[in-house]
Amino acid sequence: MPSILTRTEAEDFLFHEAELLDDWRMPEWAALYTEGALYEVTSPASPDPVASNAANSLFLISDHIDRIRGRANRLMKKSAHAEFPRSKTRHLVTNVRIVGEEDGGTRLRANIAVYRTKEDTSTVFMGEAWYTIVNEGGTLKIHRKRIILDLNSLYNQGRLTIIL
Amino acid sequence: MRRGMKIMPLDNSLQAALVQANAEKGSFRVNRAAYKSREVFEREKKLIFEKCWLYLGHGTELKKKGDFASRRVGGRDIIFIRDRNDQVAAFYNSCTHRGAKICREHNGNARTFACPYHGWVFNSEGKLVSQNASSGYVENLNADGHLDLLPVPRLEHYRDFYFLNYNQKAISLHDYLAGARDAIDAICDQTEDKQIILAGEHSYSVRANYKFMAENSYDGYHLLPVHASFFDHLRDQYAGTSAAHVVDETIASYNTRGAVRGLGMGHAVLDSYVPTGRPVAQWLPSMGAALKPEIEAKYARLVERFGKERADYIAETQKNLVIFPNLVINDILSTTVRYVEPEGPDMMRITAWALGPNDESPALRAMRLDNFVSFLGPAGFGSPDDIEMLEICQTALEHTPIEWNEISKGMAPGGDRRTIAGAPDDEIQMQAYWTQWDLIMRGIETLET
Repeated sequence: MPSILTRTEAEDFLFHEAELLDDWRMPEWAALYTEGALYEVTSPASPDPVASNAANSLFLISDHIDRIRGRANRLMKKSAHAEFPRSKTRHLVTNVRIVGEEDGGTRLRANIAVYRTKEDTSTVFMGEAWYTIVNEGGTLKIHRKRIILDLNSLYNQGRLTIIL
Repeated sequence: MRRGMKIMPLDNSLQAALVQANAEKGSFRVNRAAYKSREVFEREKKLIFEKCWLYLGHGTELKKKGDFASRRVGGRDIIFIRDRNDQVAAFYNSCTHRGAKICREHNGNARTFACPYHGWVFNSEGKLVSQNASSGYVENLNADGHLDLLPVPRLEHYRDFYFLNYNQKAISLHDYLAGARDAIDAICDQTEDKQIILAGEHSYSVRANYKFMAENSYDGYHLLPVHASFFDHLRDQYAGTSAAHVVDETIASYNTRGAVRGLGMGHAVLDSYVPTGRPVAQWLPSMGAALKPEIEAKYARLVERFGKERADYIAETQKNLVIFPNLVINDILSTTVRYVEPEGPDMMRITAWALGPNDESPALRAMRLDNFVSFLGPAGFGSPDDIEMLEICQTALEHTPIEWNEISKGMAPGGDRRTIAGAPDDEIQMQAYWTQWDLIMRGIETLET
């Protein structure tokens, strides 16, 4: 497989990730990530979320691989109270654009909308995803995933306990 | 407190409709109307939120002259600003002309505020400098300053934590904070430089009464049931390190080390030992060998400055502080300042920031922020589970006929319940909170000079 993905190849991969999340197959989702991976959601109030750095400003989520696995494992437990009973989610991934190469992988942007229903309340997390996807010996893996929400706060959503 | 008026001991009061303390039975209970009644909430707006000192913001959020932040505090919209003379001020965010909101940005820097409606212009000190009109006004209409932006009645700070008060006659912030000053000192004294609010904030809502958040924020009793999955994660992180046994050891001794302490005036702190590591200053192997020298040097410097006992307290104790009625400062695996804005009996808005020493290394700062999001905030491994508990309490008490919440654990036989200490998993801190709440709501404690 070439190091830069086509849009169709990228879409197939992103749709697979979305399917794992909507099916609540969290450990399989975590296995999509490289050992050096970062999964981040910037603070909605951040003035420059593309350039911001979790080392010096407060994010909502900034997970290295240990916490990516920890987040996945936690969501499988009844003791993750905020997700018991589990939410229903639907991840929509659209407007995928290949924007270049980074760390030997494919850099891309996509628009996302993730619907979450907990009990009788449905909310939506809308925004943009920036990915770097690498090819590890024939297997595609996520090396970077940063979500930038089109929000100013989580006032309507309350909290972010699902994976975007 | 009104002059010449003695505080009625709660235990004997016949008027205590919503808060009941019965020392003989060892029972302290709060009527559930206090969490859900619209009538009680309207009384709280008058008696709690127009009498108490309320947190507005931290001085370091306003770095330069003209820096401002717009806030809602106790239901009122405020511009928090550092004026051109470097004075921190707070004005109501409404044009004195026809009422429009003057400042519509979350934060920023401004030399003047121009009202978008008719163009009145105010400077950073709130003075009206232009009415945008060449005719029609008599000269000196504003000679007495009544058309300047209206400042809040009182604005005071303690170690750069700014509070406002809507009651001109309120006691000083210094007296109001009482024993909470020492708790704030223990956090500020982590550094010889200053504690600053770091970039970024968390803002979210919780569908529950604001007092549930106060109760939860220093509740040691809930730690193990609610946060079992966080401790599972810690065990995984520590596996194979010299700290592997620390989680279970600390959990086993949780209720015998540390204390909850009423600090007077309804404030209280939970001092406990939870094995998360602390940027200042308790190193654990999971934090990485590279950070060990800096953290140990910080501890050594604390011992030099304060002696071993106070240094140990500052460095090793996890402090969950609630300043009555709606400010939380949790100095735990990271430090958060969490402001709780009540929006109704069953709704609150949270704004939370990370606090850290100005003089820490970039690596330690990164670790502090990483610790923060591991547990705290609306997407961490801890706070969302707390929020779930608050919301299921709210919905259940609105839809069941049970009248009372039982908050009796560790109840002392007597004394002023606002200054009693007990075990870390007792509910003495909540008894302190509710005792103050009750005294204010019954008009016994007026918080006036």
